[in-house]
Amino acid sequence: MILSPLTMFQMVGALLLFMGTICIIYRRTFIGMLIGVEIMLNGAGMSLVAASQLTTADSATGQIGALLIMGLAAAETTLILAIVLIVYKRFKTIESDKVATLRG
Amino acid sequence: MELNTGYIAFALYTLIIIAGGILAIFSRSIIRSLIGLIVILFGVAGMYFLMAAPFMALMQVMIYVGAVVVLIFFAIMLTGVEGNEGFSSSRLIRSIIPAGLAALVLILTISGSRINFTSPEELPLKELGKSLLSTYMLPFELISIVLFIAMAGAVVLGFERRREKE
Repeated sequence: MILSPLTMFQMVGALLLFMGTICIIYRRTFIGMLIGVEIMLNGAGMSLVAASQLTTADSATGQIGALLIMGLAAAETTLILAIVLIVYKRFKTIESDKVATLRG
Repeated sequence: MELNTGYIAFALYTLIIIAGGILAIFSRSIIRSLIGLIVILFGVAGMYFLMAAPFMALMQVMIYVGAVVVLIFFAIMLTGVEGNEGFSSSRLIRSIIPAGLAALVLILTISGSRINFTSPEELPLKELGKSLLSTYMLPFELISIVLFIAMAGAVVLGFERRREKE
């Protein structure tokens, strides 16, 4: 059985989601988790463009959607990196298991 | 015959993505993990070329590799964390179960759907710009506000130490 190209592209999107989720849970540092989030967002953008390019849907919709995902990923990265710097200043580590102190 | 070349290229890009994923997940040092992310990004850029969207491939390389990866690299440099992570199989199993569950649901949904596909054709850049400035005007303006707020928030968080002294 040979799959249609659209299905194959969506399968690669699912593979990217799989690897991103593993990366988020497996890595111990916040930056490693951020890398996992970027992998997942990439898979989302790719399957969006594939769905718009390979069907009769409007191609511009999918491409602009993926561009907006890229912009949001850049904004999200900026904020998370600022948070990582604050956490590093306070705890002297960015390992998620060790940053477990709550103080009002 | 031309179709076969496309399938070979697809398999090649998929292998590149899988190799990058393995590097990103299992490497001990965090810089190598970042290199794995870059490999994945180039693989996905190749996928964009394969589905006749070269502009998206260009944007992928420019925004992700040019901006996001450099930002993450700066964070690694500023925190100075090497992140020596050993391999732990129990942690891997704990992460594969939820990831596999999510991917399984997604794959079952995808393989159950029956959508006729058309062969992709390149969208002229002119069309993309036109719809960006007419139909998708509001999201386009909103993303600039979101970016501005994120940058302002990052600057405010960066100056937090100075406020604590007062």
